[in-house]
Amino acid sequence: MNEPARAKAAKPLPKPAPESVPYWEAAKQHRLELPKCNACGKFWFPPSQSCPHCLAADFAFTPVSGRGKVFSFVTFHRVYHPAFAGEVPYVVALVELDEGPRLLSNVVGVTPDKVTCEMPVQVVFDDVAADVAVPKFKPV
Amino acid sequence: MIDPSRDLRDACAIVGAGHSRLGRVPSVSSLDLLVEAMRNAITDSGMSVQDIDGIVCRGPDDIYSHHQQIGARLGINVKFSTSLDNGGASQILAVAIAAMAIKAGMATTVICGYGRDSWSRTHSSEEARVKNQTTPDDQLPKEFAPEYGYFGAVAAHAFGATRHMHLYGTTREQFGAIAVACREHALRNPDAQMKKPLNMAQYHEAPQIVAPFGLYDCSLRSDGAGAVIVTSRERARDLKQPPVLIKGFGSYNNLRGWFADDNMVTTAAKKSGEIAYGMAGLGPDDVDCAQIYDCFTYMVLTQLEDYGFCKKGEGGDFVASGALRMGGRLPTNTSGGQLSEAHVEGMLQVVEGARQMRHTYPAERQVKDAEIALVSGHGGNQVCHSTLILGRA
Repeated sequence: MNEPARAKAAKPLPKPAPESVPYWEAAKQHRLELPKCNACGKFWFPPSQSCPHCLAADFAFTPVSGRGKVFSFVTFHRVYHPAFAGEVPYVVALVELDEGPRLLSNVVGVTPDKVTCEMPVQVVFDDVAADVAVPKFKPV
Repeated sequence: MIDPSRDLRDACAIVGAGHSRLGRVPSVSSLDLLVEAMRNAITDSGMSVQDIDGIVCRGPDDIYSHHQQIGARLGINVKFSTSLDNGGASQILAVAIAAMAIKAGMATTVICGYGRDSWSRTHSSEEARVKNQTTPDDQLPKEFAPEYGYFGAVAAHAFGATRHMHLYGTTREQFGAIAVACREHALRNPDAQMKKPLNMAQYHEAPQIVAPFGLYDCSLRSDGAGAVIVTSRERARDLKQPPVLIKGFGSYNNLRGWFADDNMVTTAAKKSGEIAYGMAGLGPDDVDCAQIYDCFTYMVLTQLEDYGFCKKGEGGDFVASGALRMGGRLPTNTSGGQLSEAHVEGMLQVVEGARQMRHTYPAERQVKDAEIALVSGHGGNQVCHSTLILGRA
């Protein structure tokens, strides 16, 4: 493999939008923090500058339990990006947190055939680069 | 105030329909494919291009001011012209906007269409083939997706399939019945991209792509285009083709997201369909054939439920009963659909719905005695939906 191809084969890192920088800063410290509305008390995701439940703009990034359950999931067999060639089959899941919001993530620490809807899961952090940690989930 | 059932039902008609070469059409741009389909639609209508005074289309994502470029290639100035941004729901929305513009006196004869070069685009290089991506890179998600290896429309729709299987016990065998029915129809369509038969054993043996979807759950990568011409019912009477009445249309957009609420199982088709049925004064029992947006097998199954052809959760049994085949309860995607004819983001479904209402097909392709056709469009980020109900004049 030549050098440009090798460089291309690195897994993509998240490129945070301005509103999600605090989310990724907390993740780097292995904390899962989501925007929580100071007006209606609800969490939301993905981050934005106003609450989609009540449109208030008064909020704070607040830790969540990191517990939830698999709402639905898929298993990638096809390789869409060369960096994932060694990973297939892998699971991408929509995890519904106990606090309500749903996050897209990977379910790790279990073979794909054991993953089910409603399976309870807990967040773990994958240090994918020196200054980037990605929240993933493992079965409880 | 407009009353849709009084003022828009049967107010306009489709008087021309056309498609371009379909499948693998190298060295032709999406713009020229669409112009090819539009020329065919104009010829079909017996009108001149100078009779067109409106254009509504949806450009491929990488083309800005799409309708302007189409007008330039057609060589016309028009009263009403715009491009849409609702993904696969755009094509029916274009017909709806055409009807509304004609009713409002903004135009008299509007051409609608869509063309794309998805096969060429995903086969231009090895990298393009691996990515299998038609969306420009700068429009792709930059966080909360690629870092997890989450790419593409197959996976997005597969989430809904998994959830439906969990809730209702739906099976891959049932998804397979949709793929097999579409292929049967395509084999009767000489212009269809897929030429070989497909049986259930082949469906099951095909490679998995993003489970629960295998290869034959996925629609095609196609070059191709379709177009229709809309005018008032009065003008339609004097034209060459038997007019196809626009009896009703609707749209609904679950903008809270595909991953929000229960949207991946009960889609925006439900409310879009209620609006269209209301305008047409019809219900699911009145529909003789359906052209359902089949980007993936599961999407046909769940939309059939949402449109009321069976109850939510019973779509698997409905499709496995043979209902979608010619002679079945609801012949569906009778030209082969996006699974087997060509994937032109729902535009060919509009064309096929109109053609079924003309009764000019040979017997093997004609849904016998069909009086009402329902056409669906679905897209954007899986949340936009549109519905068109057509009828014989």
